[in-house]
Amino acid sequence: MSDDSAAITVRDLGKRFGAVQAVEGLSLSVEPGEIFGFMGHNGAGKTTTLRMLLGLTRPTSGGATVLGHDIVGDTLAVRRVSGYLPASYALPPDMSAREFLRYIAAMFAIPRDTAAERAEALLRRFGLTAAADRKLRGFSTGMTQKVGLAQALINEPRVLFLDEPTSGLDPLGRHELLEHLRELSRERGVTIVFSSHILSDVETLCRRVAALHHARLIACGEIAALKREHGVATMDELYLSLVRRQAA
Amino acid sequence: MHLALLDYRATLRERKTWLAAAMLVYAVLAIPILLERPPAHVREAIAAWFGDADPFAVFMFVWIDLVMNKVVAFIPVLLASGVLLRERDTGVLALLAAKPISMPRYFVLRTLSVCAVMLTLYAATQLLAALWFPGRVAGFRPGTFLAAMSLHAFSAVFVTAFAATVIVAVGRRGAGVLVALMLVGLLVGLALVGFYQPAWYTATLANPLTLGALAMRDLAGPRPATLIPPMLALVGMTAVTIAIGARFARRVEA
Repeated sequence: MSDDSAAITVRDLGKRFGAVQAVEGLSLSVEPGEIFGFMGHNGAGKTTTLRMLLGLTRPTSGGATVLGHDIVGDTLAVRRVSGYLPASYALPPDMSAREFLRYIAAMFAIPRDTAAERAEALLRRFGLTAAADRKLRGFSTGMTQKVGLAQALINEPRVLFLDEPTSGLDPLGRHELLEHLRELSRERGVTIVFSSHILSDVETLCRRVAALHHARLIACGEIAALKREHGVATMDELYLSLVRRQAA
Repeated sequence: MHLALLDYRATLRERKTWLAAAMLVYAVLAIPILLERPPAHVREAIAAWFGDADPFAVFMFVWIDLVMNKVVAFIPVLLASGVLLRERDTGVLALLAAKPISMPRYFVLRTLSVCAVMLTLYAATQLLAALWFPGRVAGFRPGTFLAAMSLHAFSAVFVTAFAATVIVAVGRRGAGVLVALMLVGLLVGLALVGFYQPAWYTATLANPLTLGALAMRDLAGPRPATLIPPMLALVGMTAVTIAIGARFARRVEA
């Protein structure tokens, strides 16, 4: 597919923090409506890449666009059409889930009535209605993650960036989350960039993946094609094969 | 605007706001009792600085300098300590920073919100005082009291914005709070110097806490000409301070 029709286009993107090269020469594109996987070890550059795509970290080289918006020059436009769930975050302890969702909606300047409707719908969808008026300080990890995902969806984003969204969730919570994401992609055409080092989740959810290793892109393509190319049957074997080839 | 209102409500409900409210209620209830018989040296000092020892003037000096200036040196810093850096340190900013609002704009919004909370606490305190003090404070004049304190409220708002700016400029919450407490303490300490050292009076007008106490010079009945210029000056100082803070907020990363 051409870059013009891509939801996300990344060109030679790089980020250096002092002496540390966090991301180097990353180029790829993500199709509209696809669930695209980012895999790699801790510190491979997945989080830095997502942060650059949202304008939270300024690239030191290259560039990217999200739905045609430049990530440096048009950061706020990128954020308007995006949802983001970071790997590490906290919820404001003195707010309730309902208040927090309305607060986030106000950050997008969503009209009050619409914000209230969307907040209620998301609370229902994630089974949080009964706890909607409880202070967030008492929420479990699973409930926190549900509120985290709900806040990422309040603006009905066309692109969703999820950084390790399943870590800390029990098997049932993980299954539910992955189902939600499939539904978003299938029914609403949301483009999802899913970063995880839990390879089974990546395989379950994504058709195409990018593998990062020590700040560099070492593979990008359809999972099935990559497995065939490397003569492996599982994601674990694929990842190990990619890393070993890189080390050789 | 709606976001500012939601933020204001959320800040009002925070524990530290309730702590501040409790301190202010205690001050209102306790001061008339503590000052039923002010020490002779306090009376003499007031007489020397203000020309007479009118009990209401004595009370206003105590209320503005010994109570509200000390309140203003502490509570605004407490409230402002949460602006951006607490959100960054706790991880809440990781979510908020990805929304379509720039960090400088979010700083302005949060600072205005804590300024509004400070003003709410301040106004409620003075209204409670205006109800509680008559009959308990000799010669108490509610109108003059409220006029004088409405000017002082502007300095309370300034200090809140100033503390938020200092803390975000320092970049670390604990160190920022300490620096803000020191700087505000210095301003408070010098606030009334011009009253008893007339040679320094003009210079002390650069101190926002002095501007906030100018009604002390006109306790016979503060006039608009006495109140409005320092109010406007304090509004200007507050706006400039918030603008400076917004520049520092650009450096804050989630």
